[in-house]
Amino acid sequence: MTPASLEPIVGRYLTTRVADDTCRIYFEEAGKGIPLVCLHTAGADSRQFRHILCDAAVTDHFRVLAFDLPWHGKSYPPEGCHDEEYLLTTERYVATVRAFCAALGLDRPVVMGCSIGGRIVLQLAAEHGSEFRALIGLEAADFQKPWYDTSWLHRADVHGGEICAALVSGLVAPQSPAQHRDETLWQYKQGGPGVFRGDLHFYRVDGDLRGRLGTIDTGRCPLYLLTGEYDFSCTPEDTLRTAEGISGARVEIMKEVGHFPMSENPAQFRRYLLPILEEIRHDG
Amino acid sequence: MNTRNDRANGDAPADLASRELAARLRNALRHPAAERLGRRVPLLTTRALVAVDAEDTHLDFTQGRVTVREHVPLLHPWDFAIRGSAAAWAALWVPVPEPGWHDLFALSKRGEMRFEGHLHPFLAHLQFFKDLLSLPRARGTA
Repeated sequence: MTPASLEPIVGRYLTTRVADDTCRIYFEEAGKGIPLVCLHTAGADSRQFRHILCDAAVTDHFRVLAFDLPWHGKSYPPEGCHDEEYLLTTERYVATVRAFCAALGLDRPVVMGCSIGGRIVLQLAAEHGSEFRALIGLEAADFQKPWYDTSWLHRADVHGGEICAALVSGLVAPQSPAQHRDETLWQYKQGGPGVFRGDLHFYRVDGDLRGRLGTIDTGRCPLYLLTGEYDFSCTPEDTLRTAEGISGARVEIMKEVGHFPMSENPAQFRRYLLPILEEIRHDG
Repeated sequence: MNTRNDRANGDAPADLASRELAARLRNALRHPAAERLGRRVPLLTTRALVAVDAEDTHLDFTQGRVTVREHVPLLHPWDFAIRGSAAAWAALWVPVPEPGWHDLFALSKRGEMRFEGHLHPFLAHLQFFKDLLSLPRARGTA
């Protein structure tokens, strides 16, 4: 019989203002040291970072915090917004990340985001780099070519959770362990109606950063980009092209990983992440 | 009278590859694994066409159970079609597909696969169809 075990993750709620709304934001944290704020992918939630939150090689030196964007996971839509169409915007996303960091008094945190979280990391680097110790974009690019009509994600005659999970299932690398693949997809099956589609509004309509990253100063705030070789949404070519346009950006393509490195294959992902965190730690 | 194999002997290598891949698909879909998958979609009744280049296979679904129809009359109807190149299906069905060749939509993004017709039954049961069309990978060659 497997012995009982208690994980070090602690979950809490933070209520803070984001733009004109009062948001009750759920977050989980573990560890001590340099704040490391983790941003989940579109249509998912902070559970994607559960392995990093339990990795002593990380939490011995970093205070890892992962929050659910409003409308996701255990963070409700803002009060009075339940009947509105959810559409994430660049402005809204940046305001949410900055509000979270400010409310908790985080001192020059590292921010690591995946997919839409990776895209917003680029925006943070371009416009607010001095606020952060370093930025890590996973599956990040200034733009990527859309590959399907998102209207299928939210309609009465198709189960939203099932189609969201099925669509992204191909973004998981075939080498990823079944349990981690299943957990990654389960979050998509649990997403609120229209939320994945609303996130992709930012990704596809509102967040095109081509030609807008010239202000990034990697001397002031180091920028790391990691993309999985099996990601055909944000392809390795998308990330490499983006990195070429940012002087000093560090980029690596991860083997045997897809669009969800931290949740689909945590053992493989940490091989790429730990050296970066070590470098950030030693550079102060 | 010519048999199917006799005709195949005169085919170009590319046609032979398509024919063999289509046969591999049909064999896999006649395996009990396909029936087991069908239990996940008891409300699915539709008609699909799966093409390996010009080699068509018609699949009739009744309450999740698939019937493979290899020889059909002209104008046999279908609701939606999935058309892929022989290269696409061959790459998808290796034990560990290469990046960009590992999923129906990865293949469509690179121009090796197309979806046509009334897509609702396909997309409303997307994971089922993805898993069903991956069965030749698990089953190996025909």
